[in-house]
Amino acid sequence: MRSVIRGLLLGLLFALPLGAQQVSPEVFTLDNGMKFLLLPRADQPNSIAAGWVAKVGSVNERPGITGISHFFEHMMFKGTTTIGTENAAEDALLTQKQNGIRGKLRALHLGEQYARWKGGEIDDPWNPEFDTPEMTKLRADLREVQDEQREITKKNEFDQIYTRLGGSGMNAFTSHDLTFYFINVPSNKLELWCWMESDRLSDSVFREFFEERDVVHEERRMRTESTPTGIYQEQFDAMFWQSSPYSWPVIGWPTDLNSYTREQAQSYFDTYYAPNNLCGVVVGDFDLETAKTQITQYFARLERRDAPPPVITLEQPQLAEKRMKVTCDCPPQVEVRYPSVPFGHRDEAAIEVMAEILNGRTGRLYKALVEDQKIATGAGVRQDSRKYGGAFSFSGECQGESTPEMLESAWYEQLERMQEEQVDERELQKVKNQILASSFRRLETNFNLLLQLGYYEALGGWEYINHSPKEMAAVSSEDIIRVANAYFKPEQRSVAVYLRKEGSATPENAELARFTPESRGMIEQVQKMIQTMPAEQLQQMAAQIAAGREGAPPPGAPADIKEAFDYVLEKVTARLDEINEGGK
Amino acid sequence: MLFPAGLIRRAALLALCLSSLSAMSHSLQAGDELPVRPEAIDFGELTFDPPSATEFKSTLSNGVVLYLLQDRALPLINISFSFSGGDYLDPIGKEGLASLTGAMVRRGGTTTISPEELDERFDFLAAEAGAGIGGESASASLDSLVQNFDESFMLFMDMLRNPGFDAERFETLRTQVIEGMKERNDNGNSILGREWQALMYGRDHFEARQSTLASIESITIEDMRAFHKTIFHPGNLVIGVTGDFEVASIKKSLEAALDGWPAGERPAPPPAPTHELSPGVYYVEKDIPQGKVSIGMRGVKRDHPDSTTLRVMNLILGGGGFTSRITNKVRTEEGLAYSAGSSMSPNYYYPGEFRAFVESKSSTCALATKLILDEVERIRTKPVTQEELDVAKASVIETFPRAFESKKSVRDLFVGEEWRPHVDGFYKNYRNRVAAITVEDIQRVAREHLDPSKVAILVIGKWADIAPGDLNGRAKMADFFDGGVTELPLRDPLTLEPIGP
Repeated sequence: MRSVIRGLLLGLLFALPLGAQQVSPEVFTLDNGMKFLLLPRADQPNSIAAGWVAKVGSVNERPGITGISHFFEHMMFKGTTTIGTENAAEDALLTQKQNGIRGKLRALHLGEQYARWKGGEIDDPWNPEFDTPEMTKLRADLREVQDEQREITKKNEFDQIYTRLGGSGMNAFTSHDLTFYFINVPSNKLELWCWMESDRLSDSVFREFFEERDVVHEERRMRTESTPTGIYQEQFDAMFWQSSPYSWPVIGWPTDLNSYTREQAQSYFDTYYAPNNLCGVVVGDFDLETAKTQITQYFARLERRDAPPPVITLEQPQLAEKRMKVTCDCPPQVEVRYPSVPFGHRDEAAIEVMAEILNGRTGRLYKALVEDQKIATGAGVRQDSRKYGGAFSFSGECQGESTPEMLESAWYEQLERMQEEQVDERELQKVKNQILASSFRRLETNFNLLLQLGYYEALGGWEYINHSPKEMAAVSSEDIIRVANAYFKPEQRSVAVYLRKEGSATPENAELARFTPESRGMIEQVQKMIQTMPAEQLQQMAAQIAAGREGAPPPGAPADIKEAFDYVLEKVTARLDEINEGGK
Repeated sequence: MLFPAGLIRRAALLALCLSSLSAMSHSLQAGDELPVRPEAIDFGELTFDPPSATEFKSTLSNGVVLYLLQDRALPLINISFSFSGGDYLDPIGKEGLASLTGAMVRRGGTTTISPEELDERFDFLAAEAGAGIGGESASASLDSLVQNFDESFMLFMDMLRNPGFDAERFETLRTQVIEGMKERNDNGNSILGREWQALMYGRDHFEARQSTLASIESITIEDMRAFHKTIFHPGNLVIGVTGDFEVASIKKSLEAALDGWPAGERPAPPPAPTHELSPGVYYVEKDIPQGKVSIGMRGVKRDHPDSTTLRVMNLILGGGGFTSRITNKVRTEEGLAYSAGSSMSPNYYYPGEFRAFVESKSSTCALATKLILDEVERIRTKPVTQEELDVAKASVIETFPRAFESKKSVRDLFVGEEWRPHVDGFYKNYRNRVAAITVEDIQRVAREHLDPSKVAILVIGKWADIAPGDLNGRAKMADFFDGGVTELPLRDPLTLEPIGP
C-alpha cells in the first residue's frame, strides 16, 4: 500500500508541471479594439458555443444607479431598430412620449413622495398605493402609450430569430465585475451570431424599459426576498464591504431600480459597451479563417470609444470584527469571512491550495467538523477573487444540538493548524493531483470552456486558465503557512450567525406531531398556562399529571394519553427548573 | 442549399435529414454589404444523421450490454454503470431506504477497505467515484485519469460489489438526512414541490412519498445490504464507457471485474398511480413576499401518439422561453414575473403531467394565474399562427443534433434506450414527424389534453395578500372554480403530519 502510493506520487509529481492541459485559443483583435478568443474543437461536431463579455458589472456603479448593469443586461434582449418592431420611427416616437410621462412621475416620486415619506406620512415613496391623483393619471397615461407601442412591437423577436435558426441556451448573467452574453448555435450559424450580436451592440433599443423593471423586481423577490437567507446574505455583503462598490447587490437596491431612466441606460451603454471594452469568445466546430472573416465583417462596424473611467475606491482595511445575528427559516449556520486577495494576486494560488486542503470529502473540515466532532452536516471554505478585491469565507451548517458558535470555534482551531503546522506532504500532493485532473475535466464541454475564457479575460486575462494550475502546483507548505498567517486576523473577520426562527415548523412543535389531535390540544394548552404560573402551582400541576399518568385513563381519552402526560410533565419540570435557576 | 428561415419548407426539412455531415459554407465575401436582416444570410447546408446504437454496442460474456465510445481528446476515462429500480421499491415505513443505500455504497467503504482509506485513495488518485439510487433508476460512475485507471477501477468495483456499509458513516449520513429534512418548509418552492406531487399522484404513490424521521430511524444496515443486492448486480446492468481507452483492453478489464458476480432478477417497473386529481384551488400559507404558483394536470405516457405534437404545442404555449405565449404575456408584456412558463413531461411508465408555473408578488398571483389560464384556453380554441408553428418546429429540428453533441450525451442516450426504449427508427424519423405537424394538429392535442376546468392550482405564499388580487381589480383568486379553495396544512418537516390550525 505504502509503496504503491509512493510510486504513484513520484509519477504524478513528475507529470504535473508538464502535464496540465494548455488551452491555446487564437487571439484576434479588430481595429476597433474588440478582442476575440477563437478555439476550434472538432471533437464535438455540429455545434458552436459563442459569447461575449463586457468588462462592466456592479463595481462600476454608484449609489442611485445600483443594479443598472444587470438591468441593462435585460435591456440587451429587447431588440434594435431592425429587430423587435414593425415601425422603428413610430416606435421611437412612442418611446419619447413614455420618457416624458415617466420623467414627470419620477420627479413626483423623488419630490412630493420623498417629502411625504420624510414626514412620516407614507412608508414607501415608490409604492403605487400611495400615488397622488396626479400620479394615478400619469400612470394611466403611461399605460396607454405602452399599449399603443405594444401594437407595433414584435415581442421577443430577438429570441425568436435565434430559436427558429437552432440557437439554444441563450442567456446572460451579470456579476460584480462583468456581464456575459452567450448561446449555442448549429455549426453553420456562426454568421447568424455575428449578425445578431453586432446588431445589438451597434443599435440597441431599450424597449419595454418600464415593464422590464417590474420583471427585475420579481427577480429580486424570487432570488433575494423569498429565499430563506437571501436578504440576510445581502445585508452581510453590505456589512462586509465597507468602502468598496462590492457592498451593494448586483441586482441593485429597490429604490434605484425604481428610478433608472433611459438616458442613464444610454450613457451606461456608451461608456461601457464600447468594442474596446468587450471580448468575444467562440468555441466549437468552426473553421478559423472563415470565422475571422465573418467576425471582421460584422463587428468592425462598432466604433472604438474612450476607455471607461477606472474604478477608484478600494476596500479600506478592516480594523474591528463585525458580527451579525439572524433568525430565519433556515438551518442554524455560520459564515466567517475575511478580506483576501483580488484575481491574479501573487498569493491567490497559495490561498486556493489552502482552500482545497480544507475542502472535500477527505478535506480537513469535513473530517473534523462532520465526522470526528459531529457538530456540522457540512462545512467548507471559498476564495472569491474579484477584480478589485477578494474575500475568503468559511461556512458550515449545524448538526443536532450543536450551535453556530461551536462551528465558529472549530473553524478557528482548523485555521490555527494551518497557521502553525506544515501541511503533510501527502495531503499537499493529493490536492495537486486533483488540480491536474481538473485541468482536463474543465475542458470537457465547449460551453464551460467559453465561460472560463471569457470570465478570466474580463477579470484580468484569459491566460489565467493556463497559469493557474501551474502556480497552484508550485505552492509549498511554507507558502500556505505564510498566507494563513497574513490574511486571517481576528479583527479582520466578519461573522454571520444564523439561528432557526422559532415557529410552527420548528422541531419543538414537530415533536407534537406524533400525538393525536386531542393530546396535542391538551399539550398546547398546558404549555401556554405554564409560562405564567408561579412555582407552587407548577408543583401542584406536576403532581396531578404524575397521578393522572399512573391511574387508569378516563373513558374516551385518546390512546396516547400516557405519552402526552409524560411529555407535559417534562415541560412542567423544565419550567420549574428555569424558575429556580432564575431565582439564584 | 438555401434555407430561408422565414419560410420553413417541408422539402428543406426533409433534405436536412437525408445526407451526412457536410462542411459549412458561407456566402459573405469581404467588402460585401451586410445583409439587412439575419434571414437573408445563406447559411449553407448542415446535415446530420443521428448515430446508430449498433455502432457502439457489444455484449459481455455474462450478457451485460456495453456501449463503448472512444474520445481521445483528453486523458480521461469515464465509466457509467446504469441499473433499474429506485425509491419506488422502498417498503412502506422505510421511505428513504433506496437513497440511503445508494449514498452508503459510495460512503461506507468496502468489506476489506475502511471508508477513510477508500476515500483517501480515490482522492489521491484524483478519481471521481459516485453511486446513487434515484426515483426510477440507479447508477454508479467513475471518472479517472488514464494513468490511474487500473487502480481507480479496482477500487470502484470493490466499492460496488462489496460495499462495507460502515456503521459510523451510516450514523453521519442519517444525521445529515435528518438535518436536511428540517429544511423542508424553509423554502416556498420545496413546499410547492412536495404538495404538487401529492396533488398529482396521491400521497401514497412514490412520486409523492417522502422519508420521515421514523422511516429513516427504522432503516438498518441489514436493510441496505439486502437492497444493494436487489439493485446492483449484472442481471440489472447496462454499462457505458467514454474516453481515452483501447477497446480490447477495456473489455478485458470489464470481463475480469464482473467475473463471478452473481446475476439476480431485474426489479419490477414502477407502479402507476391510482390517484385521481381533484381540480380546484389549493394553497399553503408561507410568509414570503412572492407567491409560487403551479397550475396543471396529468398528461400522457411517453409512447402516446400525441407525445411529439404535445411537445411542440407546449413550446408555443410556455415551454419555449421568450418565444412562447405565457412568457411573452406574463413576463414581457405585463412585467408580472421573472419566472413564468409551462412544461409537458411525459413519463415512460404512466401518464406524466402538464404544469404551468409563475412566481409573482402576492397581489398579482391571481392576475398571472388568470393570464396563464387564458393562454391555455386560447391554444385550445383558436389555431396558432403558421409562423408560431414554423418557429417551434424549426427549433426542435435545428437543435436535434445537440442531443448527440458529446460522446457522453450519445452514450447516456443509448444506455437510456436499453431501459426505456423508443420504437425502432424513433430518432431517425423524429425530424420528419415534427416537420409534418400542422396547425390543426396543435389545436387538436391542446383540446384533447388540456382542460382549464380540470386543473389544480397550487399557491404557496401569504394568502391574505394573494386572495384579493391586484390593485386595479383585474383578477382575484375567487375568480377560479367559483371561489372554492382548500387550505392545505403545512406539514411537520420530520413526520410530514399536518401542523398548525
